[in-house]
Amino acid sequence: MRLLLRVLAPLLGLLLAVLGLAIVVETVTLWVAPASSPLVVPWPAWLAAIEGLTWQSGAVRATAVVVGLVGLFVLLLGLVARRHDVYLADPVPEVTVTTSPHSLARAVGHEVRSHSDVVSASVVASTKKITVKASTLDPAEAVRDDVRAHVDEMLVRLPLARRPRVSVSVTTTKGVK
Amino acid sequence: MSRRSRAAVARSAGGDRTLTTILGLVLVATSVLALLVGYGVFGEFRAQRPLIDPIAVQWVTDHTAATRWFAVAIGIVLFVVGLWWTLHSLRPEPRPDVSLSEVPGERLTVEHAAICDAVRHDAETIEGVSRARVRLVGTPVRPALRISLHMIEGSDVRDVWAELDGRVLARAREAFSVSALPTAVRLELDATSAPTPARVE
Repeated sequence: MRLLLRVLAPLLGLLLAVLGLAIVVETVTLWVAPASSPLVVPWPAWLAAIEGLTWQSGAVRATAVVVGLVGLFVLLLGLVARRHDVYLADPVPEVTVTTSPHSLARAVGHEVRSHSDVVSASVVASTKKITVKASTLDPAEAVRDDVRAHVDEMLVRLPLARRPRVSVSVTTTKGVK
Repeated sequence: MSRRSRAAVARSAGGDRTLTTILGLVLVATSVLALLVGYGVFGEFRAQRPLIDPIAVQWVTDHTAATRWFAVAIGIVLFVVGLWWTLHSLRPEPRPDVSLSEVPGERLTVEHAAICDAVRHDAETIEGVSRARVRLVGTPVRPALRISLHMIEGSDVRDVWAELDGRVLARAREAFSVSALPTAVRLELDATSAPTPARVE
């Protein structure tokens, strides 16, 4: 979403600037030299087109819905495009240490896969929660407690500013050990 | 964590996000208002009135000069805000040179690249770090460091940052002759399994 914001923000800005410029140019033209109005934007034609429409007209409602949907998208884009950095405890006051959720998940994943009974694992991490899904050939119960202990021990070594909740689920898959 | 070191973590998208949110709110509000009028929430009669309302047209005809000034003002505001927004979000994040002394005749500035290369070299010698990227952010008078470290699998974060603060940042602080240098460190945990071979310069 942040990338989309980086791309769309200048375009939206440009759109506003063009809109503003068009309003100024057309107003001043109508004012100073009414004979050559409209200069660029054919607004009298637009005016003629919406002549006779009432607030109840289907076209007006459809336009309002479309504008609303576009607005909702732009609004959500602005609200959602925040950073998802995972903060670590500060070693000294002037230093801020962060890592990415992706990198945290990778580190946890290495830790989980280093467990000899785990066949495969996938990890999703954020500041608040780490979700581990692992599969094993052994009974799931024992392996799950083991994996959880592993992850907990790793999080003790990693000085995160806020300890995330850890949820581990282990499934037993068929196969030859 | 200080405000300046926190600000150095990444380029702020605050301006973009604020303006995008406001624009979205305006669009949604316009649409909702138009729909409410159309469905007769403000009166059945009002819903049947034309879009180009004769009362509004009459008012505009009566107050031509005021309407024109108003339209021009709105146009200028939109133009300025839009242009500022575009330029602001297209401008690359500055890489400040650091000014160590502003005394006339003894002006001393250090180039951005020189500082970053030196700190990067230092950082890459830390045990457990395979690659480092360094840049300065902020202003020449109030710079802050942004360091990104790629860590080798299994290296201890505490050891790495003890060395980072005790040696690398200490030297940078000494070079700038400041007691504190705001720094944002980004760790890429377990980025590689082995140290990167030394760079050939």
